Amino acid sequence: MNGAEKKARFIAPDTLIGKRIPKMDAPEKASGKTRYIHDIDLPGQLYGKILRSTRVHALIKSIDTAAARALPGVHAVITAADIVNQRPIGVAKDHFPLKTDKVRSLRDEVAAVAAESEQIALEALKLIRVEYEDLPILTDPAEALKPGATLIHPEPRQPGGQDALKPSGPVAFTGKPDNVAMRFDYCHGDVVQAEAESDVVVEDTFKLHYVTHCCMGVSGMIADFDSSGNLIMYSNTQVPFLHKREFAEYLNMDPARIRIIQPAIGGGFGSKLDIYPFEVICVFLAQAAKRPVKLVFTREEEFISSPTRQPVLLTLRSGCKKDGTLTFRVVNTLHDNGAYTSWGATTPFVMMQTFSSLYRVPHCDYHTTAVYTNNPYAGSFRGYGNLQATFAVEAHMDKLAEAIGMDALDFRLKNAQAQGEVTGQGMEFDSCGFKECLDTAAERSDFRRKFAENLKNRNSSDPIKHGVGIASMLHVGGGAKIYPSDGCGTILKLDDFGQVTLITGASEIGQGSETVLSQLVCEELGLPMSALTVVNNDTAITPWDVGVHASRTTFIAGNSALGAARLAKAKVLAAAARKFECPASDLDLRGGHVIKAASGEALIDLPRLMRNLHFSDKAELVMTTFYYEPPSSYQDKRYKGNVSAAYAWASQVVEVEVDTETGIVKMTRITAAHDVGRVLNRLGIEGQIEGGVVMGQGYALTESLIIENGVTRNPNFRDYKLVTAPEIPEIDITFIETMDGEGPQGAKGVGEAPAICVAAATANAIYNATGVRIYGLPFTPERVYRALHGKGEKLVPLTAKAA
Amino acid sequence: MNEIEHYVAPSSLEQAAEYLQRSGEVTLLAGGTDLMPQSQSGKLKIKRTLMNIHQIPELKGITIEGGEIRIGALATITEIMQSELIQKHLPILIEACDQFASDQIRNAATLGGNICNASPAGDMLIPLLVLDAEVELASKPNGSLTRRRLRLTEFFVGPGKTRRAPAELLEGVRIALPPPHHYARFFKFGTRPALDISTISIGIAGVLNTGTLSNVRVAFGAVAPVPTRAPRTEQALEGRHLDAAAIDAIAAVARDEVKPIDDIRATAWYRKELIHNITKRMLTHVAQA
Ligand SMILES: Cc1cc2nc3c(=O)[nH]c(=O)nc-3n(C[C@H](O)[C@H](O)[C@H](O)COP(=O)(O)OP(=O)(O)OC[C@H]3O[C@@H](n4cnc5c(N)ncnc54)[C@H](O)[C@@H]3O)c2cc1C
Repeated sequence: MNGAEKKARFIAPDTLIGKRIPKMDAPEKASGKTRYIHDIDLPGQLYGKILRSTRVHALIKSIDTAAARALPGVHAVITAADIVNQRPIGVAKDHFPLKTDKVRSLRDEVAAVAAESEQIALEALKLIRVEYEDLPILTDPAEALKPGATLIHPEPRQPGGQDALKPSGPVAFTGKPDNVAMRFDYCHGDVVQAEAESDVVVEDTFKLHYVTHCCMGVSGMIADFDSSGNLIMYSNTQVPFLHKREFAEYLNMDPARIRIIQPAIGGGFGSKLDIYPFEVICVFLAQAAKRPVKLVFTREEEFISSPTRQPVLLTLRSGCKKDGTLTFRVVNTLHDNGAYTSWGATTPFVMMQTFSSLYRVPHCDYHTTAVYTNNPYAGSFRGYGNLQATFAVEAHMDKLAEAIGMDALDFRLKNAQAQGEVTGQGMEFDSCGFKECLDTAAERSDFRRKFAENLKNRNSSDPIKHGVGIASMLHVGGGAKIYPSDGCGTILKLDDFGQVTLITGASEIGQGSETVLSQLVCEELGLPMSALTVVNNDTAITPWDVGVHASRTTFIAGNSALGAARLAKAKVLAAAARKFECPASDLDLRGGHVIKAASGEALIDLPRLMRNLHFSDKAELVMTTFYYEPPSSYQDKRYKGNVSAAYAWASQVVEVEVDTETGIVKMTRITAAHDVGRVLNRLGIEGQIEGGVVMGQGYALTESLIIENGVTRNPNFRDYKLVTAPEIPEIDITFIETMDGEGPQGAKGVGEAPAICVAAATANAIYNATGVRIYGLPFTPERVYRALHGKGEKLVPLTAKAA
Repeated sequence: MNEIEHYVAPSSLEQAAEYLQRSGEVTLLAGGTDLMPQSQSGKLKIKRTLMNIHQIPELKGITIEGGEIRIGALATITEIMQSELIQKHLPILIEACDQFASDQIRNAATLGGNICNASPAGDMLIPLLVLDAEVELASKPNGSLTRRRLRLTEFFVGPGKTRRAPAELLEGVRIALPPPHHYARFFKFGTRPALDISTISIGIAGVLNTGTLSNVRVAFGAVAPVPTRAPRTEQALEGRHLDAAAIDAIAAVARDEVKPIDDIRATAWYRKELIHNITKRMLTHVAQA
């Protein structure tokens, strides 16, 4: 302050909510300064490499590592035989990190090496001799279910063989009498009765393919033991606190001795939700070599041994009345589990929600069988089964509407959920902008007019046909209660300079959570974004969080950060109230100052107040903690319950040009309307929608991991075709703000939503353009061309019995 | 581990040819956009000596000499794209460059590399075939620099295989200036507009005279072990008035003439369909030109 004269200063109200705020990590990333796992090197570090199976399904007869061990520069060579009490990992505990008596897919880990350089490690791998005895290969899930099929995990596991767990070993997977990995059966109402009362019934079979995450940052980690035997893992996991516990179990360690540090993560999308063999193997190598070991995948390895999106064969039967009321749905799906069980097998949790509750369906039956094969195994992936389910549901919404001669949009509006509804599955929609999403997407794209016009032009002589299609989605938007807690903890520290450190359990995996959490805190404390530092990547520092999944971070970690900020604000205002001898309720925080709430007059700047507090005789620091647990509930054994504290909705209209002479489908425009509760960071949420839409576009048109007889044929970006910039259509985004009562500032989760309905809407658009419906993905030129020429793939319907 | 023992970067064609003559165990490096991925994946083993040919002036430049355009082997796709000479006389090459890879790759990838890599899907090869280009090979068999010319149609032997002898360097290509009313178009079909390998590609060239083409040359990519001319299609097209029936008939000949294979990018059936439909489309454009 210059001069003695103190003029009263007034600070006008302002808000950060809804503003376009650049991601806090953007400058670092754009300038190449971000340190990913690849950039981190520890003194004395060795390089780990994994020898994978060369057979799809075989007995391991012998492994000879002598020559590899003898290679100069090699510090450790390990196989299953070197690991005492190796424990199975994964969702069903059916997966040994290092394979013992058998390999079950081409990705399988047989041995591993730690050496002084990557080249030496690779050279050592070449010196390991493995003798196999081939077993029959099972790559068709339908075949795998037939009686007498070769068993992937026979029971009991090889008596006396290495796979047999020692009596002292942990309780674990002991094999299966058949190839069924998991089953899900859900029902509400009476579908038989409902079918009898239906005017129209349609049934179709859909085939959803393999795709994979293609994170720009490939998988990797560093394992380091300190001299007290504590393990520090530099890891890309999305779920550090769950992994800390699980790793402890697999490594036979006290969880208290494991610390997980997450360097910047180059993309997750669900791929880093499970523990993978390479992570456990990296720790084994560090143990064996007594040196830190870094193990980072090559891109090819990433394609071959990372989990995929769940491939699904699905038969859907649906009915409605002439007036457009949906009557029932019966769903049977066959999930190709691959050789081991990861999260892919559990996608039915999400899929059944779409079948039972996206539209009002009074009667619904849902059955999934996840089957072991010798294919790569499926994990969790943005959307978690919902892309597959929505693809089928929205095809039938079009088909039923056409069958009863009703407008596709009217039919959807008639059956769409609305606020206040409780579905047959027990989901409670406290906020629901579904109908607004439908109306908005349709209006902004001029859907009705284009739809009718395209129908008229279907038989014109122009080989290029235009199509427009609509699809919608429902997804959890307020966490998902699947663990004992769906909560997140926050520690907030205000220092002597009015600088805030937000210590949150929530991981940043590129989705922009740091920025949005900071924004919520700044909004509460009346501070600029520059006042915030986020610490979110070290289990020794951050409070517990269940992890990044289920589109939960903004909602759950946001509420947690908000809770901590509110406590801090109360403390600060209480101190200011003492100082200025007025009730705290007369005060507020704004523009870095304590102000008079009524007039906006600045009383003191925050740093000064903080120092007054700290350096007084009653020295006090402002540090608060908060743990938020959403008011959701577990599903019961019949999969019923209000599993999320809020639900997200969206409708998307896709416009395409189909070249009938080549089969190529060009997306020209996507109109997306998303019920996000409330927009917090407009720039961030637009980025999420655009990124998700493009991921959905890849799923719809170009991306396909080609697996033939258990072999991944295209483990590279040359032949695994991601969408590139020139193909990205114009994307028109509208946000429907329903102000969810439980969400932070009214916001709901949105991370997965934008990817979910693109393929479904594209299928409807191709139908609108050509009159041909294609039941399998992706819509590559050849698949479309074949379908247009009556040479499409014939899919055999699944019956309840087959599934 | 790669056992490259020597690295050489000769500064003249003489030096390079001499080195090649003395030591057979040499791999030539131009832009490296084929060499690097192929050696990484184990498809190709780099020999004991790696020779960087970038310092050889004779391999550079795009010039016009005595009724011929000469493009040096080291000309990059970007240079060809930006060359006014090419723009003026051989615009079909620009069309191919425009669909080639991405900017980053085009800046490194050379014409010589594309030719010597001899991929059936090499995108520059189809336009060069319909321009009846010749390759110029240099070597030093008995103490003096020797050059020979070979028509490109005779250069390719199989996927990745050419008639270039190990001691020879590709110096450049020569293309006779096209006659008046020359028409030449290239079409590449891939699933993406950028960064894609041709599912099939088609080049059509000839002298255009009131809706008919004469001195016709047609070439197809990715439908045989080598990029190939299509004599039966050429014959069907030569001098033919291009009405709808003729176009249909010629497209059918093209479909029957190619012998593609199934691979992960497409089936043989679909490739034949594409050859048919796109030939038809291109001939319709000719008829309208
Ligand atoms: C991402 C990506 C996209 C691509 N997209 C396309 C595409 O769209 N279309 C296409 O056709 N190709 C494409 N390619 C392949 C490649 O870029 C081209 O074939 C390119 O022209 C090769 O040139 P280069 O200079 O990089 O050759 P290099 O890799 O340096 O060499 C290729 C081969 O030719 C030999 N050679 C090179 N120059 C000479 C010479 N002067 N004399 C004798 N031998 C020689 C080398 O020894 C080597 O065997 C792509 C490659 C990548 C990596």
